[in-house]
Amino acid sequence: MTPQLIWQSFVNGFALGWLYILMALGLSLIFGITRIMQFAHGELYMLGGYVVYLLTASLHLNLFLSIILAMVVVGAFGLLLYIGLFRRYTGQMVNPIIISVGLTLILQSAVVVTFGITQRSLPRLAEGGLSLFGSPVPKDRLVVVAVALALVVALYAALKKHRYGQAMVASVQSPEGAQLQGINLKLMGGLSMFTASALAAAGGALAGSVFQLTPYMGVQPLVKGLVIIVLGGLGSVPGVVVGGIFLGLLDGLAPVVLGAGWASILPLLVVMAVLLVRPTGLWGYGR
Amino acid sequence: MATAAGVVVLVGAMAVAPNVLGSAYWFTIFTTVVINVLLASSLRTMFLIGRISLGHVGFMLVGAYTSALLSIHAGWPLWGTIPLAALVSALVGLLVAYPFLRVAGIYFAILTLLAAETVRLVAYNWKGVTGGQLGLTGIPGPGSVGVPLIGTVELGRVTGYYYLALVVVVLSLAVLYALERSDLGLKWRSIKDAEPLAQAVGVPVMAYKIANFVIACFFAGLAGALYAHAQRGLDAEATSRFGALMSMYLIVYLVVGGEGPFLGPAVGATLLTVVAQVAGFAQEYQPIVVGTLAILVTVFMPNGIVGLASEHWRRVRPPTPRTRTKEAEHAGARSS
Repeated sequence: MTPQLIWQSFVNGFALGWLYILMALGLSLIFGITRIMQFAHGELYMLGGYVVYLLTASLHLNLFLSIILAMVVVGAFGLLLYIGLFRRYTGQMVNPIIISVGLTLILQSAVVVTFGITQRSLPRLAEGGLSLFGSPVPKDRLVVVAVALALVVALYAALKKHRYGQAMVASVQSPEGAQLQGINLKLMGGLSMFTASALAAAGGALAGSVFQLTPYMGVQPLVKGLVIIVLGGLGSVPGVVVGGIFLGLLDGLAPVVLGAGWASILPLLVVMAVLLVRPTGLWGYGR
Repeated sequence: MATAAGVVVLVGAMAVAPNVLGSAYWFTIFTTVVINVLLASSLRTMFLIGRISLGHVGFMLVGAYTSALLSIHAGWPLWGTIPLAALVSALVGLLVAYPFLRVAGIYFAILTLLAAETVRLVAYNWKGVTGGQLGLTGIPGPGSVGVPLIGTVELGRVTGYYYLALVVVVLSLAVLYALERSDLGLKWRSIKDAEPLAQAVGVPVMAYKIANFVIACFFAGLAGALYAHAQRGLDAEATSRFGALMSMYLIVYLVVGGEGPFLGPAVGATLLTVVAQVAGFAQEYQPIVVGTLAILVTVFMPNGIVGLASEHWRRVRPPTPRTRTKEAEHAGARSS
């Protein structure tokens, strides 16, 4: 357990945290507006990675252009899923769970059938490293944080300033009130699904570039994103950011400091401790 | 009476099915079938209080590893390790039940998913005890027992083991059915239908919810123990029997069969497990088929196969006065 190893784990965990944030923001946006928990969101994250793989490997497009295209493609796919499957179950619990379970099975194995179960690699986001406070940092980790941060800031600004963003916030706070003001809740639902799916795709593409692409890569970030929501980020962008960085650092540092066994049990212990003290989560609204 | 006859026929059919199909291969598959039946049925028990678990295989894992480790290291016989494994799984359920059941339904689903992934990762990483990534091998089988009239049954062979599993599963389903029909079951339904009301009339809601969760975990653990000795080897890879995907399969069994009728999940589990085996040539496409079925059934057949069948039955034969009184009684008891 050298200081270098700890520093590396810290940097990795911090970058990982931003991927979780992209995931959790999308989940909480969808849930806030439609009251649907999209358990297949991890698969959209994974699809984002594979769309970028197709664009870079077959069409030889630039990596960053591919990420933007993948966000649009996967966002549109999410919108289709919303219109075709999820919309009719707005506000329900059980049916959306089953639909997303079905989607998870379909999408994962569709990717296994198409690309095989072996890992695929994307081009690197950046080569080499630079020195931060006298310690080395791989550049690609910095790019992950920068891209994710830019997306989060853009979303935050849109929610605060833009007409549609404000309409979405209003739909979360009071669906009836929003409707009385002439806000189309179905449109807001579709918009949230598009935005969330695009964010997930960006996360998956970044993850695929820093780590590897596998058909099952979406499961862990999904679980982390859900945990962030339970811890109380629902409806609060800063809450999600804090929760995501916390979980990312936990994932980065705990295996090195405590060993893999304890590291795997820690998130559950943290969540249980929080729920024992505050059943509505740290920033909860009492839902 | 008709129900009892139906159950006898079903159990009889399950007992002879692999014989008719006629190879050791089918005995292995039907062992998986009955284990899946128990898992899906115990998942349905949680449905009675309106909770849906996305991590049922986590408790199956606890049962499987407990029974396997006890018989490998302590050399205990199966009639000791299997019940104890179920108890350990129930105990783990009890440990997490209170914080999990305090939160709203959707959070409960999330927490069970987290719990299942956590126990899987613990099993995957705890090298000294669970064998880590390599897993456990050489799990002993059950040996043999003398049964009056039949003679010595070699339970260690796939045929014998199937009957052991079948007996355990049928008994477990009987217990689950009795519980559901008892006062306890009525309280569970009252919690599902109107939790605040149940609380207001003095039902200790939390205690009943915890009892429900712990019972479901007990039977998941039992199924896991049966699985461990059938497989003789365990591992906790993400793609293994204990991955998040398998909990999802269980939900599909439940929904395709229909979560309303008691035997719905059992029928769903049997049908889909057998279909999956028959379609073995297209192993990779299996999840696509199962996932598509789940979505189609949800959209077009919200009561599942058994629900649809019994609806049809009711249309053909309207309920007799006796059952009608029973239903009225049930409704009366529910609203009081």
